[in-house]
Amino acid sequence: MTPILEAHDLSLSFRGVRALNGVSFAVNPGDFFAIIGPNGAGKTSLLNVLSGLYRPQRGRVRFLGEDLSGVSPQERARRGLGRTFQNLELFRGMSVLDNVKLGAELAVGAYGALTPDARKEWAIRRWAEEVLDYLHLSPLRHKHAGALPYGLQKRVEVARALAGKPKVLLLDEPMAGLSLEEKQDLARFLLDARREWGVTLVLVEHDLKAVLELSTGVLVMSYGEVLYLGEPGGVRDNPRVTEAYLGRSA
Amino acid sequence: MLFRLSQTLTDRYSRTFARTVRATYRQDEAYASTPLGRLWLWTALVLLVMLPLLLPPYPMYVVVLIAIASIGALGLHLLVGGAGQISLGHAAFLGIGAYTASHLAGPLAAVGILLGGVLAGLIGIVLGLPSLRIKGTYLAIATLALQFLADYVFKRWEAVTGGIRGRTLPPAEFLGISMPNADALWYLVLLFAIPLFFYAKRLLSSRAGRLWYAVRDNDLSARLSGVDLTRAKLTAFAISAFYAGIAGGLLANLYKSITPDNFVLTFSIQYLAMVIVGGAGTVLGAVLGATFIVLIPEVLNAIVGAFGPQFAPSFAAWRNVVFGALILLFLILEPLGLVGLWGRIRDYFRTWPLPY
Repeated sequence: MTPILEAHDLSLSFRGVRALNGVSFAVNPGDFFAIIGPNGAGKTSLLNVLSGLYRPQRGRVRFLGEDLSGVSPQERARRGLGRTFQNLELFRGMSVLDNVKLGAELAVGAYGALTPDARKEWAIRRWAEEVLDYLHLSPLRHKHAGALPYGLQKRVEVARALAGKPKVLLLDEPMAGLSLEEKQDLARFLLDARREWGVTLVLVEHDLKAVLELSTGVLVMSYGEVLYLGEPGGVRDNPRVTEAYLGRSA
Repeated sequence: MLFRLSQTLTDRYSRTFARTVRATYRQDEAYASTPLGRLWLWTALVLLVMLPLLLPPYPMYVVVLIAIASIGALGLHLLVGGAGQISLGHAAFLGIGAYTASHLAGPLAAVGILLGGVLAGLIGIVLGLPSLRIKGTYLAIATLALQFLADYVFKRWEAVTGGIRGRTLPPAEFLGISMPNADALWYLVLLFAIPLFFYAKRLLSSRAGRLWYAVRDNDLSARLSGVDLTRAKLTAFAISAFYAGIAGGLLANLYKSITPDNFVLTFSIQYLAMVIVGGAGTVLGAVLGATFIVLIPEVLNAIVGAFGPQFAPSFAAWRNVVFGALILLFLILEPLGLVGLWGRIRDYFRTWPLPY
């Protein structure tokens, strides 16, 4: 199977700090790929390189078989590389519906902004409503996104990203700060989206239990280096991973 | 039985008067979704057309001023409240529109006004360029540069602008009808204002609005949602300047004589005040803000006048103080502007007679 998203030898440093050091991995279509590691391991930096916010000093990212070097973040999003953030980056002043509609434009197709197109607008609305319904957000459609509680804001962000029908969705700690029920709900939504819409998921997560239960592939990082890459089953037994998380035994 | 009756009644009530019950998405997106709302919209339009018959000349002149200011303010609303950018150069665009219109006046007035808008829109794109790099206060200063540059050009480019003496215009004509006074010009103003208002409302509720709000709220995640920041910002500047250019052209046809003094910095700031007092980002806010800013000095003038001429000099100084104080009070007591006030009144009646 040809990988849908591929990172090859990515290196990124900020002045003296090496955030990424020769990181390579491949994600196959339909994967639930998890990136884990201690704080400061470079996980978010890696996502930022993948979505084009940071330019790596070395290495390249391939998406759908094409090299993404020099492709702007907005163009990557249009090609089907979705993204959510660790700290909520919603459009706080917009309604939930408008947030999702903005994402839905990517899936339904945009039109010239100054020539409103009622039919396109209509298609966008219908698809946005479908996504809202899917994520159980319909009753909140006219609420201001910024006025919702944290867990729901996270869900709106996922809805916005999913509305774009991304081929690969990069999620930065989607479960952080959620209650157990909210985590379960979110996991179910994500798995459903993977199954029904064929979205490949790449997520950074701290919740080891969730990762090991859900994922099909795991990348463990520490200090910008790859410690482990492979099946989730092998993570616990890997000595280097244990060392990074728990420290060397005396 | 009684319960069923009351249920039917309240349901009918909310379908007719309030916007709480909307059965389809299409109803949800319509301008006026209730019969009462539609009635209100049509009444307002008819009233607007009849206005010169109802008002004496001077109030009518003030109303025309308000309508023109609303168009200009609406443009700034799209920029400030929509895309979250700021411009202190709005008067420059009014000026560009006005001087263009002054060259295509008389029978060509409508064309001149439209062309003035287009020209202002093009220059608006240039003004938008700094916004790609800088934000907030810094952007305000950058747009200030255009304001001063425009002022200089208006004064010095005598061949086109007539220098400090300015230019005079013959009365506007449209389809052979001469419009020598405010009463007649009103219809030309309406001809531009009504489509522009509906267009702005449509823009804000469709893709353009979403792009602009996205840029305003969070440019990082706007990019990662596929929004082209450059285009979103530049279209906002262009549209905003286009509206200002149209307003400027209409203003030139109302004054029938324009000088550089009509388009100074104070004027730009007045327009910003309209946006802030009206409540940024909504079409209704533009009208309410323009009404407030144009009307209050007139009302204060009338009050001063009522006391008799001997008080006029001492009151004249206080007039500006009262004006400033009113704006300040507004910002403190109702940060959402007049629109916020209106919204609360409407919400109250939407669920009336129940408090929730």
